[in-house]
Amino acid sequence: MDQTTNALRGEGIALSFGGIKVLRGLDVEFRAGEITGLIGPNGAGKTSLFNCLTGAYLPQEGTISYAGDPLNGLPPAARANKGIVRSFQHVALCPDLTVRENVMMGIARNGSAGWLSAFLPLPGGTREREEMARSADEALADLGLPDVGDKLPGELPPGMQRLVEIARAVVGKPSVLMLDEPAAGLNNSETRDLTKVLRKLASTDLVMVVVEHDMDLVMSICDRIYVLNFGEFVAVGSPEEVRSNPDVVRIYLGSDDDE
Amino acid sequence: MSDQATHIIPGQSVVSRLSGMATSGLTTAVVVAVLIFMPLLLGGSWTFTLGLCFANSIGVLAVSLLVRYGGEVSIGHTFFTALGAYSVGVLDTRYGISLWASVPLALLLGVVFGLLFAWPSRNLHGIYLAVTTLALALAVPEMINNFDVLTGGYEGLYVATPFIPGIEMGLQRYYVALFMLVIVCLAVARLRLSRQGMALLLAKAHPAAADAFGTRRVWARVSIMGISGGIGAICGATLAFSGSTVSPGGFTFWQAIFLLVGSVVSFYGLSLTRVLIGGAFVTLVPQLLSASGAWIPVLYGLALLGMILLGHYMPRIRKAMNRKAEAN
Repeated sequence: MDQTTNALRGEGIALSFGGIKVLRGLDVEFRAGEITGLIGPNGAGKTSLFNCLTGAYLPQEGTISYAGDPLNGLPPAARANKGIVRSFQHVALCPDLTVRENVMMGIARNGSAGWLSAFLPLPGGTREREEMARSADEALADLGLPDVGDKLPGELPPGMQRLVEIARAVVGKPSVLMLDEPAAGLNNSETRDLTKVLRKLASTDLVMVVVEHDMDLVMSICDRIYVLNFGEFVAVGSPEEVRSNPDVVRIYLGSDDDE
Repeated sequence: MSDQATHIIPGQSVVSRLSGMATSGLTTAVVVAVLIFMPLLLGGSWTFTLGLCFANSIGVLAVSLLVRYGGEVSIGHTFFTALGAYSVGVLDTRYGISLWASVPLALLLGVVFGLLFAWPSRNLHGIYLAVTTLALALAVPEMINNFDVLTGGYEGLYVATPFIPGIEMGLQRYYVALFMLVIVCLAVARLRLSRQGMALLLAKAHPAAADAFGTRRVWARVSIMGISGGIGAICGATLAFSGSTVSPGGFTFWQAIFLLVGSVVSFYGLSLTRVLIGGAFVTLVPQLLSASGAWIPVLYGLALLGMILLGHYMPRIRKAMNRKAEAN
């Protein structure tokens, strides 16, 4: 498959809050079949770019499209229906739902059981719930969490909660998967597991974008990396190219002052 | 019955844990069984009062549902209870139509007006939405009086058509209310397990996450107001039938406040036992205090304070008692 056909593209994305320019006319292309990293110091605009791509923010300028379809103006829910899903920088699981049910929310939008089934024990609704639960269990098992479905998110350590978020994002077999700092709060062992999981998830028709501060993780899994600083890209390229870029070394990789 | 996010016991299955079936199912069954036999033990006036208590419990449930699934507080639910009550009252007195038709109409009107209220107020939250619902509560008595051709104005309406002909009306007023309460509680427990219910809970906890997975916040807000309005209307329909009269005095601003008080007293619980506590507080406390004259507001306040403190400290008291029992 042509990697660029099903790409998530942004052209000239500009976002500002009250005169503060957060993103300054960014051009991006996240290709299917690749894991793309988005790195930069805190406040560089990574999450803002994520929010623009997923519809949480509406940029003042620029166009966003997926596989040629324009996404501008579409709310997040409509983008989700197109298979564009994300995880969050701060874990956003529902504390009142079990782990399994949280993951089920990744495919609940595809359900067809109506309001009558919501209040009455009709077979259609029951069957749909069972199918969703089965898919959620499979997604959890794929991420190495086979036995936590009945627990509440608050009963899991932060690392597992991150994985549950990823399970929720991947259970619906998305076309674009955007992970916002998936390794935040994970210990070394959990990060290693996450690396394996992300590699396993990568496929020829999936656009995967990872915002991450863990350079080892980014360098080991990403095919291409965008480096963002003060709302502008300072480098784009393979991990080797980025690693050897003097600007990147100066502003991010080699400097503790930016953290 | 649904009473999620409370008393989690690791290892229980999801259905039993979250619908509360395992932890409260037996209690609920025992409570319902006792209530079924109550009329055999109690006099007519207590049977009548308990019927009202069941009806008010449904209203408490409507308010609690809005809190638990929508994260919002209503101080105007008498608007919906009035809709339900007058659906029953008007159809009964004007057309002789019984609950078989008037309850579905009440439900429909409650849902529709809940949706109509929710749409323009969809972006209001917290105290702003609560004050907006206050407008509903304040408007209700005047609206009822102005439509006196239909509503009977101050005099109100008398509901006399039996639900099931041939059965003594006093018993019907009790058992219909109990039946409605059980059905509504079961429906709410079912909602908790549905994709719509889960989406509402996610939208309440993390609106951005709900948005990102296809649940629009506006959908969530409008839906929960519709559901809560519908249940509020069923409360009104049940009140009309069990109380036998429908008049503006039953749908004042204070009644709306009492429903909220009942919801708080039951700690926004959605299980049958919890909403019964709220309904009992709304119904029984004023009756028990009715002979106290000028002391009624003070005693009511003390009773409210006592209930809240008891509920707040109960887990600690229980824990201390368990420790003591283990030590012995």
